[in-house]
Amino acid sequence: MNESFATWLLLAGPLWAAIGLYFLPRMAPKRKRDSAVSEHDLQAAGVVGGFALGPVGIGLFYLAPNLIRRFTLAAGITIAVFIAAQALVRVSDPNLPSALWLILAGPLWAGIASYFIPRRYRDAEAIDTNALTAAALGGFAIGPLIFGLTWKHTPRISREWIIVLGSLGAWQIYTLFAIHNATNPCVAAPFHLTYLTQQTANGVVIGSIYSLMAVGLTLIYSVQGVVSFAHGQLYMVGGYFSFYFLLHAGNILSELTGAEVSVNPIWGIPVAAVIVFIMGAVFERIFLKPMHEGLIERVSEYAILITFGFGFFLEYTTLAIAGPFPQRTNRFIEIRRFTLPRTQITDDFFFGPIHIIGDRAFAMVVGIVLIFALLYFLQRSWTGRALRATSQDRQAAAVTGINPTNMNTLSFALGSMLAAMSGAALIPIFNWVPWVGAEMVGRSYVIVVLGGLGSVPGALAGGVIVGIVEALGAGCHPDPSRGAAYKEAFALVIFALVLLLKPTGLFGREHN
Amino acid sequence: MKRKSLFIHCLVLIALIAVLPLSMVQADGHCEFAEDTVKIGGLVPLSAPGAVAGGIAMSWAINRAADDINADCGITIDGANHAIEIVIGDSEGSPERGQAVVERFILEDEVDAVTGVYHSAVGLATMSMLDENGVPTVFSEPWNDNVSANGIMEYDGRPPRNADGVDHVFRVSPASSMVGGVVVNWLIDLGVGNVVIIAENTDYGQPAAADEYARFEAAGATVTQINVELGTEDFVPILSRIQASAETPDVVRVLVTGETSFNLTQQMAELGIAPTEDTICVTNQVAFQSEQYWQNVPDGNYCAFNRVGIIPSLFSDTAVELNDAYFEEFEDIVPSYAMASYDAVFILADAIERAGSTSDGAAISAAIETTDLDLSQGRYYFEYGNHNPELPEGTPAFMWHQWPDPVVTMMQYFEQGQSSLDAAVIYPAVYQTHGTDYITPGSSP
Amino acid sequence: MMALFRRFETAIDNGIGRRRLSYLLIALIIAFFLWFPNDTSQSNYAKTVFISGFFYAIMSSSWALLAGIAGQFSFGHMAFMGIGAYVAGLIARDGITFALLGINITPESISAIGSIIIGTIAAGAVGLVIGWLLLRLRAAYLALFTIAFSELFRIMMLTEYDYTGGSNGLSLRPLLQIADVNVARQVEYYLMFALLIVCLLGLYWVANSPIGLFLRAMREDEDAASALGVNVVRYKILVFVFTSMIVGCAGAIFYSDVGSERIIPEQLEILQMSLIIAYAVIGGMESLIGAAAGAFISRYLLEAMRQVVITLPFGMTTADGSDAFVWDTGFWRFALFGVVMVFTLRYMRNGLLYPIITWFSGRDIAMKETVAIRESDDEHAARLETDDE
Repeated sequence: MNESFATWLLLAGPLWAAIGLYFLPRMAPKRKRDSAVSEHDLQAAGVVGGFALGPVGIGLFYLAPNLIRRFTLAAGITIAVFIAAQALVRVSDPNLPSALWLILAGPLWAGIASYFIPRRYRDAEAIDTNALTAAALGGFAIGPLIFGLTWKHTPRISREWIIVLGSLGAWQIYTLFAIHNATNPCVAAPFHLTYLTQQTANGVVIGSIYSLMAVGLTLIYSVQGVVSFAHGQLYMVGGYFSFYFLLHAGNILSELTGAEVSVNPIWGIPVAAVIVFIMGAVFERIFLKPMHEGLIERVSEYAILITFGFGFFLEYTTLAIAGPFPQRTNRFIEIRRFTLPRTQITDDFFFGPIHIIGDRAFAMVVGIVLIFALLYFLQRSWTGRALRATSQDRQAAAVTGINPTNMNTLSFALGSMLAAMSGAALIPIFNWVPWVGAEMVGRSYVIVVLGGLGSVPGALAGGVIVGIVEALGAGCHPDPSRGAAYKEAFALVIFALVLLLKPTGLFGREHN
Repeated sequence: MKRKSLFIHCLVLIALIAVLPLSMVQADGHCEFAEDTVKIGGLVPLSAPGAVAGGIAMSWAINRAADDINADCGITIDGANHAIEIVIGDSEGSPERGQAVVERFILEDEVDAVTGVYHSAVGLATMSMLDENGVPTVFSEPWNDNVSANGIMEYDGRPPRNADGVDHVFRVSPASSMVGGVVVNWLIDLGVGNVVIIAENTDYGQPAAADEYARFEAAGATVTQINVELGTEDFVPILSRIQASAETPDVVRVLVTGETSFNLTQQMAELGIAPTEDTICVTNQVAFQSEQYWQNVPDGNYCAFNRVGIIPSLFSDTAVELNDAYFEEFEDIVPSYAMASYDAVFILADAIERAGSTSDGAAISAAIETTDLDLSQGRYYFEYGNHNPELPEGTPAFMWHQWPDPVVTMMQYFEQGQSSLDAAVIYPAVYQTHGTDYITPGSSP
Repeated sequence: MMALFRRFETAIDNGIGRRRLSYLLIALIIAFFLWFPNDTSQSNYAKTVFISGFFYAIMSSSWALLAGIAGQFSFGHMAFMGIGAYVAGLIARDGITFALLGINITPESISAIGSIIIGTIAAGAVGLVIGWLLLRLRAAYLALFTIAFSELFRIMMLTEYDYTGGSNGLSLRPLLQIADVNVARQVEYYLMFALLIVCLLGLYWVANSPIGLFLRAMREDEDAASALGVNVVRYKILVFVFTSMIVGCAGAIFYSDVGSERIIPEQLEILQMSLIIAYAVIGGMESLIGAAAGAFISRYLLEAMRQVVITLPFGMTTADGSDAFVWDTGFWRFALFGVVMVFTLRYMRNGLLYPIITWFSGRDIAMKETVAIRESDDEHAARLETDDE
């Protein structure tokens, strides 16, 4: 593609967008319009339609103004992908019109489908909960075929649909990637299967520990409706409590026995858990409880700020006490790594070896055990059920004799405890400094939004997904020198896509 | 009632804290000091986002140097003893703050000289201000090639010089090109062909990586560079990528500092990438602090690292004393930037004494140029300056006012938990302690 | 003590009147700031401190408009500032070309002011996109996303070393080119002060305009506001873009060698953002001038608290013979700052300066009256009840 044509493509959009912004609200005939379509919708439609489809877009909205709401979203997605495609085509081989077509076809069909299909569902009075997401992903992955799947009987779209369609879309991106970047270890035979498995394993292992932390965050949200902005710092102090406990316990035992004794860091986990549980409970009683008693105006803002301030305090107090020097405890198990040996299947095809660091595997097991213990507690014990009941309906729960105030405290303390436990589980794996929570907590936010704010299974799945995406992103980025630096950015892309396509997340409850 | 007793408790506690210092021993005052002191400003990072650990060590070293000089009756000018007074300023690692602090040094504190600076960005931002105001300055840690006299003036092939014929900025830390040269020469001598460089994306990592990259290429090695973000904890994905590459690398060079470096090196060792029999692990000077190193990189045995400053077996009495004091304070081996900061104060004090004036910046700077002192890191002198203005062909411009021989050596651990004082020096050959230029993992020298 | 204050209060009320007194006070404060650089006993360093104080006052007062008045919790304020500064710097260095439109901005053809304007527009444009994406969702989403966004932006500025200079920072084109340092500092001081005043006026104008009233209405009850026909999302986006542009502009100007000669990615860390938030909270999130003053005062205190010197009484001396006990506070001062922030939020939601501001605006009289009326109503009702019996 030559330079001026590309410039033209980039420029045409904004021009038409400006024209659309000006004319569409003025031209669109009033009589054809629903009352639901406002000036603002028309302006947005003008910009987006003009940008994506030029005069065609503006004309379309002119003729059918009632279509605007859905279509604006679809066109918005198209724009995003269009720009991405532009960038991709320009950086990669410019002589591949078929690839351009492949890149463009997906988003186009996604746009078309995400307009028609949700509308079809509403007309048929079927459940349209996941229709938009499925339509966008389906249009992207299988093009017009998505209509065949949804049109006739408008079946209920389950999560499985979305997972299958999303995976298909991911597969397509992978294929395109393979065409463009044939030497990348993610696609270059004969290593790539081993390599992809290795990276996925890396992602799953670290993702399970991410989950543990995110579950705490989501638990607090589900009961209190509060996102804890101190979560990263609680994770950090959890690690430090474990560290200092092990240090002192080791010293005392050494003195008693007269030999060099070091305590296994697994014992740090319950210690950190207990201390932070109490810390969380006290903080909740003093600062969050008044919020539920109607003593505080504008609760959601207060909650963000007060937890944020708590985190600020924790971070600097730790810095003042522990200092900026990195610390680490001894390891869980004395096995450096587990290795799945290389298996030769045919002459050209082999699999492995795959390495997993021993301590990480152990921490993963700890994380999974703890999550299942929590799930068991939530499902089976009276208190756990009371917690869930409170998260579903406070008033009804209060009527049945559950004390919502205690449930609030319990949820915050439990959530904080989970953060501290993941901290204590990770301090043998990463070295610890007082600002260690910042990176981790950013990731937790992505996980809970991806899984659905307030959903425990969502946080579980989200953690693993984010782990895998980060591993694959860093492992497959076309430019190896940048892949690692942008590791956090891959999670952010997911964040943006989730907000655009399904703000309720994978497992979230519907809300407006 | 309860509240009142709590209040009283607090009061008692505060009173205790306040009285505590009284119980300490009175310092003996055998020196008679003149009224006016010599003020030396120490510009170090003491708050995030700066490298706080480095700043604390540097500020400790600067204060200790002043205490040591004062214990020896300070600076003697015309028979009068002048005590050194240290003013520490917090650069926070930010150029904007650094500039403000330097301005405060000059205008409010009226310092006679300045030392310190950890971050190159701070050095770059403050050096021209220091120079224009005629403040004799000895930088003790910024590594960027341009943090030197030639960065101040547009360098057009001539030695840089200020309008008044004097320039005031000196450096006793190495320029990153000087360090890169040693590492690359050592590895090329070992015959490596396939190199992976992992560099942090900062003003330290990127120029150093670019420099080493060019040197390796010039020597015919193939190089892959990977940039990482400081503060990253999990490097396994990118390390798996290295592991999956068709050819096993001969060497992995880590150009990352602080806790991030420890994370990276440890994960590298755990995954079995380096150090192995096939792959050499080369980390950087942070590994010299062996207590911290072994706590955070328990599997890092047989890693080599570059070390700036005199090798432990040649430590002078000053260096040993400094190291002991540092160990007492921080429970670790003294890092090179603390040594350099300690020495820088001595260089300044010596120059002030020789200049015979506490306030004549030009005279002091001229005196620094002719420094010849044996201090903790070795013999200090400045080869090129106004006293010797002709840089020979091929000498880089940063050598102007640069201490020419910060000893850069390669060292290697060969026993788990070994103190860096006992680690082997493997390169250059003249400093070798164990008669070998590389200890293969699993063996012992 | 209290009685003395009451008498003073009555005297003021009967004499000059609080409102007029407050105008007088504001005039005095402005006059002080205008006079300050002419005080020859002050060094240039004091001016530098003030210049960055003005900058942070702009940051935290605009954040107060966004968070305190419009109820939008953005952690991306510093990132927008960075966008303004980086775009201005990159345009002035590299220029930009749109071949088809015939627009060709070369580094030679663009002035420092031009680059600042482009930086401001860029910050606004990014604000528009983010606002459009997020402001229709709950408040928490904006907070979550902007944390992640500002991290991403910082990492990009660090990683794209070849373009942005990485952690060495990016030098912007100098806005003022004055050779004499003393004169330059004076001009920079007045420029930044003027910018603060203009920004405050702009922010107050928005806060008191119908838009500001709508914003407050929807902060209290979004559903009711939208039922009244207020297009909630549109106003939210408008304010978001407006504040983004203000901080973008402030950033582009501040780093054009007015307050600092280069911008570094470390400036965009969440830590810096949390300081801005803390300033605004302590000063008072619902009062723009309170937030601005909060930034000024907090920065001063944080600086002053680096070293706490306790002078010992009764001629006692410490070990090294001095008569004062010196404590280097290190990070404890930030920890203390965090405590102050949390307790301010809990017990003085409107900031520590709120009582002073309300006293001057005379709002506390109105409040007392309301309370009195309510009490008398209660008494009246009680009397009615007893009458019934």
